Amino acid sequence: MSLLRVLAVGTLMHVKQLSRSPFEMAIALVVPIVQATLAVYLFRSGGEQHRLLEAAVGAGVMGIWSSVLFGSGGAIQSQRWLGTLEMIMLAPRRPVLVILPITIATGLTGIYALLATLIWGRFLYGIRLDFAHPVAFVVAAVVCVVALGMFGLLLAATFVLMRNANALANTLEYPVWLVSGMLVPITVLPSWTGPIAAVLPTTWGARALREATSGGPVWPSVGVCLGISVLCLALGGLALTYVERRARAAATLALA
Amino acid sequence: MKTLRLMGVGGVIAYRALFNWTTPGMFVGTLLVGPLFQLLFFAYLGRQLQVADDRFYIVGNAVLTASLACVFGGTMAVANERRYGTLGHVLLSPRSRTAIFWGRVIPYAGNGLLIAVVTLGVGAALLGLRIPFGALPGLVLAMAAGSLACGFFGLTLGALGLRFRDVWVVSNVSVALLLLLTGVNVPASGLPGWMVTVGHYLPITHAASAARQLAAGDGLTAAAPALGQELLVGAGYAVAAVALLKIFEGESRRRASLDAL
Repeated sequence: MSLLRVLAVGTLMHVKQLSRSPFEMAIALVVPIVQATLAVYLFRSGGEQHRLLEAAVGAGVMGIWSSVLFGSGGAIQSQRWLGTLEMIMLAPRRPVLVILPITIATGLTGIYALLATLIWGRFLYGIRLDFAHPVAFVVAAVVCVVALGMFGLLLAATFVLMRNANALANTLEYPVWLVSGMLVPITVLPSWTGPIAAVLPTTWGARALREATSGGPVWPSVGVCLGISVLCLALGGLALTYVERRARAAATLALA
Repeated sequence: MKTLRLMGVGGVIAYRALFNWTTPGMFVGTLLVGPLFQLLFFAYLGRQLQVADDRFYIVGNAVLTASLACVFGGTMAVANERRYGTLGHVLLSPRSRTAIFWGRVIPYAGNGLLIAVVTLGVGAALLGLRIPFGALPGLVLAMAAGSLACGFFGLTLGALGLRFRDVWVVSNVSVALLLLLTGVNVPASGLPGWMVTVGHYLPITHAASAARQLAAGDGLTAAAPALGQELLVGAGYAVAAVALLKIFEGESRRRASLDAL
């Protein structure tokens, strides 16, 4: 119970903190809508009007990934810049429990992208929100956010070890959009991308949402997504413990 | 000659000073690898939706990739001076403001051209697009025109940074809008009329159109009108940037808010 409370209160606090940044909010508000508009016109131009809802959902998932990638990837670095890294690492909890709420918060902020693209599509382009499995869609969306939050923890723990983590974050946005099949079906990609796609939680999260939207077996995708995410959580937790111990021993916690 | 020296040397010094946070790893990752994946993403999406052929997406997106370095670079040329507290020193210079700030754009435009050329080369090689050898000089010209226009567009946004607190929001949103409005990813026939009209006044739109004509083997004569329009759009933003810088500088002096962030 105490564990859940730490996670819930931490997540709420970090969502509030993220919402205080005019830059973060403006980008989170506008960019997904631009991407959704682009997706709608692309699908219309391709004569795929019947797949507009799928396009809007795909654009929304792209927004969640962007939020997690930039938010979680830089989670530790931003705490360092804010001067709060030492304080949260001094908390009498495992590092994973104080960093995970930050990465889940970035996923939650990203869910706005999904909601915005659906609302935008409904009111501006008249896209009917006829989900094949409405309940499964909500469950899949929640699982997707939590799963990407856990994946974000692994990113946060590994990015902090790299000097050029920003460059890696900038580089990873489009490849993951592409390989995970958020808008482009995996089947049209070269076959060597298949194994990469199979180990990414983004692939299964996007697939679960797509199946809940247009029909298909949602639950196996949700299950695989959760399984991979738990693995990411475990690896991220180990990496964070290693990073924390190394930083304490070398007295470099606050140093970039 | 002195003015050209001021633009050239001043631009390079400012580029090194304001862009010095980067490392080769960051440069390659952010400015070469990232845009290449952007091209691949839209090329595969275009293939799947059969909106247009590979040439449309590869050439269009290669031209567009210059926008990342040029728009942010142009913005940085003004906004970072303010951020680092050196804007006052620049404005105290007895030399022409126009020459100083236009000179700032040149290295970023060169940077954008490099990115566009690399992206086109690698993208075409990966996706198997054959470009006529004779079209290459014209393509470089089209990409240079697009990069320069984007640089001046960025400088205009940077000028807004003298008036507004967070100009990076405007730059980020602008770069996202270029994806949609320039017709690089959705053909003009698939966009509403007002979006096409807005696109005509944005950088990249005409350069991408010219580059596509050249890659199709139409020749420089056929692409010349679009190239001219791109240069005209760039010139418009160059004048707008200088005018805005003058207006906002005057206002900042009156309100003593030049360095206030």
